Amino acid sequence: MIQLSYLDYSAVEGKSWLHRGSPAMKMIGMGVVLFCIVTLANIPGLLLLYVILLGLFFLSRVPLKLFSLTLYPLIFAVLFVFLSGFRIYFILLIFLKVLCGSTGVILLLATTPYPLVFRVLGKFLPSLFLTALFLTYRSVFILLNVLEETEHAIHLRGGLQWRHPWRSLKNISNAFGHLIIKGIDNSEKMYEAMMLRGFKDKIHYRGE
Amino acid sequence: MSHIHLPDGVLPVWLWASGLIATILIGTVLFRFIKKEEVTRRLPLLGMMAAAMILAASVEIVPIAYHINLTVISGILLGPSLIFLATLVTNVILALFGHGGITVLGLNTLTLSIEGILGYYLFRLFWKLFNRITPAVFLATFLALLISTFSMIGVVSLGTSHYEELIHQESQQGIFEFKLLKEKDDQHKKEAEKSEVNLKRFIAIVLPLGFIGWILEGVITTFIARYIQRLRPDLLRLERGSS
Repeated sequence: MIQLSYLDYSAVEGKSWLHRGSPAMKMIGMGVVLFCIVTLANIPGLLLLYVILLGLFFLSRVPLKLFSLTLYPLIFAVLFVFLSGFRIYFILLIFLKVLCGSTGVILLLATTPYPLVFRVLGKFLPSLFLTALFLTYRSVFILLNVLEETEHAIHLRGGLQWRHPWRSLKNISNAFGHLIIKGIDNSEKMYEAMMLRGFKDKIHYRGE
Repeated sequence: MSHIHLPDGVLPVWLWASGLIATILIGTVLFRFIKKEEVTRRLPLLGMMAAAMILAASVEIVPIAYHINLTVISGILLGPSLIFLATLVTNVILALFGHGGITVLGLNTLTLSIEGILGYYLFRLFWKLFNRITPAVFLATFLALLISTFSMIGVVSLGTSHYEELIHQESQQGIFEFKLLKEKDDQHKKEAEKSEVNLKRFIAIVLPLGFIGWILEGVITTFIARYIQRLRPDLLRLERGSS
């Protein structure tokens, strides 16, 4: 999740042809990828889709650092291997579906700044939901800053040590507690600032 | 553990489509009953709690494929109606990072919000019974996670026939079926037995790992609640004196 800010940076600063493309078209493209993932049930088809997505990933010069994000969902996919009785065909099918989905969404977010994504979503989603989505996305960055400060505090209190699991658990919990309280304080300030600036249930996106 | 980490395309269409429809319906009904000013006033808090859930979900305990959700503590702080929107928003953003498929958003929201809503009501119930924060939060978290994990297993088991289709896709390709009816029946019976075994194996893996996770999350949520009670007891909206 720390890479989220890097993802944002890549979306804003990237100069490739995919970065310059229309956000609506990219989202339609993502819809097509999803449709293929849902309907394709053969390995060659999914492999071709994955190769195309990988090609786009490297052609659009998305930083390699972000590639690890596309592999993260495989951790959970492993659980579903047990459903298949370790059939290699099923495992490959699941893994390819996971990789296609995650590469598609990372590619979309790494080449499209999030206000543009929200602007497109705003055309068919309720404004209240979109505002909640926007505030959550902003809050992740605020909490990441708090988390950075908290990490120092945890370190000074002994940090995380496998030899002292109870103390480590307490430290993690206190860090999350601190994160929540700080976050709530910030959310109250943010709401007051939004009201002062004339917020009325809806956030408008200029798109640039 | 209650989060369905299935990718897109694994669950049958009828199942994930029903999840999406149910989520939209519940969301619409809920927003008809909540005061708009109340939602607007608490939107920043909702955003913060959803962000905290997203951050918690990114802390993966790799050996047991588990991550904490913070859904119960969010449910306690936000209340039963807002936690539904918070889990929906959390799932949308998590899905944008490949954490669970986009088509399973509805099912994920339903199972996670069960956790948050149950957590809220169980916490109120245990608080009335014990009047102590530690057992009330721990038991509420443990039970809410237990029930939501079983609801996740229920959802996964509903798609069993579809997984069988996917598994046997390879063997069916290019093979002509010249079988007698009886043989076909036997085949179906064997497949049914096999799928039952596979689901049992899945449950046998998920439940022990989940159990460790429920205990861990129960302890972490309890410490968080105690921390909040020390610094901002007003957030917990407790009726009686604190212990």
